[in-house]
Amino acid sequence: MSHGAGAIGQSVRPLDWEEKTSGTARYAADEPPSGTLVARVLRSPLPHAEIKHLDVSAALRVPGVHAVVTAADFPAGRLYEHSGGPYSDRPPLAVDRVLYVGHEVAAVAADSATAADEAIRRIVVRYRRRKAVLTVPDALAPGAPQLHRREAGPNVAVATAEHWGDIDLAETNAVVSAEGTFRYPRVNHACMEPNTTIAWWHDERLEMWTSSQAPHFVVHELAALFGLDLDQVVCRDVSVGGGFGSKSKISEHEALAAALSMKCGRPVLLELSRAEEFAFTKPRHAFTTKLTAAADADGRLCLLDAVIDVDNGAYNHYGPSVMRAGIKQLGSMYRPDAVRWDARLVDTNLVPGGQFRGYGQPQTAIGLETLMDELAEKCGQDPIDFRISNSGLPDTTQLSGSQVGSNRLRECLAQVRDRIGWDAKRGPERRPYRGVGVSSGMHASGSYAYPGGNTSAAGVEVRTTGEVVVRFGGADAGTGQRTILGQIAADVLGVPMDRVGVIMADWDETPPDMGAWSSRGTHMGGHAVRQSAEAMAARLCELGAEKLGTEDVTLADGDVVSDADRVAIADLVDLADESADGALRIDTEYVEPKMQPYWTGIERPNISATYAYAAHAIEVEVDPGTGVIRVLHYAAVHDIGKAINPALVEGQIIGGAVQGLGAALGEKLHYEGGRLVNAGYVHYPLPRATTVPSIDVALVEGPEPAGPFNAKSVGEIALIPAAPALLNAVYDATGIRFRELPLTPDVVLAALQERDGVTPRQHHLARRPGRWQIGLFRALYPYGIHLLLDRWGTRFARRRTPRAVERVALPATVAEAVAELASPDATVIGGGTDVLVQRDQELLFPTVLVGTGAIASMRAIDEEPGGAWRIGAAVTLAELASWAGTRVPMVAEAVATIASAQIREVATVAGNLGQEKRCWFFRNGFDCYKRGGVSCPCYAVEGDHRLHHAAIGGHRCQAVTPSDLATVFDALGAEVVLTGPSGSRRVSITGLYAGPGELDLRTGELVEAIVLPASALSARGAFVKLQQWDGDFALVSLAASASIGDDRRWTAARYVFGGLAPKPWQPPRLTRALAGTVPTADAVAAVLDQDLSWEAHPLPGNRWKLDAAVGLARQATEQLLLGRTRDEEWR
Amino acid sequence: MAEPGAALRVDGDVVPAGAPGETLLDVLRASGSFAAKQACGRGECGACTVLVGDRAVMSCTMLAALVTDEVTTAAGLGDAAADLRAAFADHAAFQCGFCTPGQVVRAEAVLRESVDRSRDEVVREMSGNLCRCTGYRQIVDAVCAVAQTRQCSREAAR
Ligand code: FES
Ligand code: FES
Repeated sequence: MSHGAGAIGQSVRPLDWEEKTSGTARYAADEPPSGTLVARVLRSPLPHAEIKHLDVSAALRVPGVHAVVTAADFPAGRLYEHSGGPYSDRPPLAVDRVLYVGHEVAAVAADSATAADEAIRRIVVRYRRRKAVLTVPDALAPGAPQLHRREAGPNVAVATAEHWGDIDLAETNAVVSAEGTFRYPRVNHACMEPNTTIAWWHDERLEMWTSSQAPHFVVHELAALFGLDLDQVVCRDVSVGGGFGSKSKISEHEALAAALSMKCGRPVLLELSRAEEFAFTKPRHAFTTKLTAAADADGRLCLLDAVIDVDNGAYNHYGPSVMRAGIKQLGSMYRPDAVRWDARLVDTNLVPGGQFRGYGQPQTAIGLETLMDELAEKCGQDPIDFRISNSGLPDTTQLSGSQVGSNRLRECLAQVRDRIGWDAKRGPERRPYRGVGVSSGMHASGSYAYPGGNTSAAGVEVRTTGEVVVRFGGADAGTGQRTILGQIAADVLGVPMDRVGVIMADWDETPPDMGAWSSRGTHMGGHAVRQSAEAMAARLCELGAEKLGTEDVTLADGDVVSDADRVAIADLVDLADESADGALRIDTEYVEPKMQPYWTGIERPNISATYAYAAHAIEVEVDPGTGVIRVLHYAAVHDIGKAINPALVEGQIIGGAVQGLGAALGEKLHYEGGRLVNAGYVHYPLPRATTVPSIDVALVEGPEPAGPFNAKSVGEIALIPAAPALLNAVYDATGIRFRELPLTPDVVLAALQERDGVTPRQHHLARRPGRWQIGLFRALYPYGIHLLLDRWGTRFARRRTPRAVERVALPATVAEAVAELASPDATVIGGGTDVLVQRDQELLFPTVLVGTGAIASMRAIDEEPGGAWRIGAAVTLAELASWAGTRVPMVAEAVATIASAQIREVATVAGNLGQEKRCWFFRNGFDCYKRGGVSCPCYAVEGDHRLHHAAIGGHRCQAVTPSDLATVFDALGAEVVLTGPSGSRRVSITGLYAGPGELDLRTGELVEAIVLPASALSARGAFVKLQQWDGDFALVSLAASASIGDDRRWTAARYVFGGLAPKPWQPPRLTRALAGTVPTADAVAAVLDQDLSWEAHPLPGNRWKLDAAVGLARQATEQLLLGRTRDEEWR
Repeated sequence: MAEPGAALRVDGDVVPAGAPGETLLDVLRASGSFAAKQACGRGECGACTVLVGDRAVMSCTMLAALVTDEVTTAAGLGDAAADLRAAFADHAAFQCGFCTPGQVVRAEAVLRESVDRSRDEVVREMSGNLCRCTGYRQIVDAVCAVAQTRQCSREAAR
């Protein structure tokens, strides 16, 4: 354990490491007080409507319900304060109208989740639908319905058009310019801990256990909403499972839990589900930035000119300051002569945007840093050199007003060049489709955005036990602030770290603080603790000097030390008159002298005391066959001033960079009719361990007198340069400038084809009468069919009534299982990994679950006479993979791409084959054709169908069969044994399916086994899969098998595609053409192309899947020819 | 026909198995065992990972009624995983810590199966556990470090 003076700069273990790693740390939902009720929220299903009638009386009559709240429970006109003044626009519950899907209308608290859910269903609301504006252009169109009365114009919450610097000079100097329109989408924080609150009103106080980064905003807002004094609200110190800005202000569920508890006096737990978390928490604001950048003849940046539209969502929250931060960055990184902007924050009928790590800067950085690259190219300069020569300088005031002290951006850029191997990778030896890109980044350390933002308070206490306790009123959502503050106190007081404890968040125990937001944790909190610790050190030395009889004393190892003697600080506590209860405590408030506020008329205030800088560089490889981008290397160099805890600093940098990459490569919230489509991790490609490279971090340290111990911020900055560096790397690899995130394979592949002038495939629909009906139907969708089915048809949608499971049966024989399945309410359960999920998604409510795990024959894999193998349907995927490993490697390879190791441990073969379609509309609650019945639309026709829908053979439903095993087994010519009341029968894999993910079973039948023919074990196989993350369902997959003779001729070749069609799909011409030949990848691609022309009927957005299929066919063919596996190829 | 059990063994204790349709995670949390976390409830993230016997599984999509083996949560790993937990601390392999009990349990299962693990293997084996904070590198660093020390001590013991 490191010793006191010197704790700064050490990678000491996080103070709470034992609790966090053993699962004993207490998060908000853990250990609820006894008698805690469960709360649920009733949300608007419509994006814009009037509430004509709201009746909660039936809900109140549900047994076990203790409280229901609606807008009527709050005083009329009461609003959240948020950033205050004219920006404050949101009531705690919907009043008379709803402005987005998910808008809170009422909340209930009950003894159990079941009762609360039931009560929610009993609330009667009649809405009158109003026209909704779901995009910025719609909101700004003449005659658009207005969400609020706004002074800046219809649906314009805030507008600002100004400039910094000398525009005339900039325009005169401009010789070269570059411009583009850049789009950054809505992105969710996806904190691993869903928003969770327990509120308990008792003894005239509101006690909160809440997952918050900043108790300040919770306490102040709740006090104002309920007319309480500040000391009537207290947030207890709980562990917080990630925030990234989302929990840095009050969240609606906190107010609702409080209101419910105040109504019934019981503790109330309100925990958002993951689906609610994705759909209804406030995402990053989407920006559309039209940016022009110009440089003079010498390559000096002279002008940045931006037109920015920010999608505010339905309420302001912190949209005005997010927009301002995005603009401010344009005048804070480089040294142009002028920056001009014209920006609008636009109201739409979508869930409001909110604070997210980076706070407006990631959105404008993609434009700024792309255009810096383009200008460099136009000026004939290297992108890194160009940035170095234009970098802001230390000890200057920038156009934005930032009074910069230290600035080591130039060192960062120089170092990142070496660390990524820039010169070699861009040199003559470069490999095709590989590229490197760079981006700068900057961020302030805290901001004076609200009154009090320049102050921070902390207490430091020494106890007679020798412990040192830091008391700090902010919360640590995972930033490591708790540990950093402890290190500062340890360092100043010269005590070992293991004697330091930190109490946070709970204002009964700490002085109030505004908390961790705007990267202020280390700067503000660090200064406050330093100041209090220094005062404590002085006091201890004073006491020690008296005790030791000499003025010449210092602090070391928990003692006050003189030349001759020492005394433990613990023994000094009782000598101080002001000590109480065995503790000497000093609280101080730190006021940051360098910060200037926004609101006092200073034209360009210096809102922060220090500014951090960074340079990131990325190497990518783009697969021209599928459009997939792989990040090969990533280097991040940060001007940090001083790393108080280097391991934690590195963690912030890596974590931030990976979040930035996530948004660059796949994360995006997709809406349909104002409702979120991808409300789950399965449809929202968060980075996984396998999808990110090992990020190389270097820290540039040096003096920064304004920072505590020279430290500058690190919380937000690392996210900002990730996406622009990736965009620049992809340009370097492909020559294509992408201007919109995320770069999913469809976008990349389509752009590559356009670059290469590939003519789009023709599908000869006029000559395919079998497709006419569907073609016509699809063509009419935008002309009324969709609207008709969506508005009217869904009124007749079938809804399943939740029912509890009454019994779990564990038959020992197949016959017993078949007997159980005679009941229509019985369902087979293998591992449960889809059945239980479907129950959660309200797709399936069986009352009897029939487990197959105890049926010995179904758990076995046996060889049959003749060399075929019979695989029991209840064999798990893990067992299948280990059996298949050397026998049928393709099966093992395919299994390795399915879900996760944990799922593969329990998921069964039959479960995989029989899992329901994964269409994101169907799974996420849309009343679609398959969920709701014939009167309902298929949302994929008009909605986002780029990734997960059929491009071949789609009918009224466009979903595909998600099972990878189906694809592989079909390629191997497997048969399925189905057993029912009238005995067993065998079907082919295609015969197994009636539709996408729908088994064609007779009543009482179950899948008993799969039979792999002997040929499957002798054939060569290849499985390739295009997926968004390792374990994802196939966007497109291909299983190919062939028997290859000594003369190298292929016999019995089968290519089967997954993800392309409702069922596994075999291209007919290709199968015929391959027999008896020695194919090449080109030949296969050519024949497949024919098949795709004549068989496919893609939707407008998923044509690319056919091209990707050709790319996969090339890969698989090469593997078959060489006998290579996917893994070998990757090495 | 076999009967689903009426009780479960969890971290050395016996807890009631709950209603027929309940998931293992629900049963754990209802019985006061909070180490396994619910982050998605749909088998997509790994926060609820526990050992059933020696297999790491997602407790949120596991029917409690089908569990017969002893269940071990992060809180029940005990001294066997002390080195792993310390490595997580030393490598800053957690930030908010919400995913951590699941990560630790998964890592322990991976290392129990074999300590002879390449970095790529560790990455792949751990990829079912989402973490929104760390960006994974430090988690992989920690698991690889423990794989190495356990391998060395095993060889030394030979
Ligand atoms: S909570 Fe179980 S996997 Fe996410
Ligand atoms: S440490 Fe926060 S999610 Fe992993």
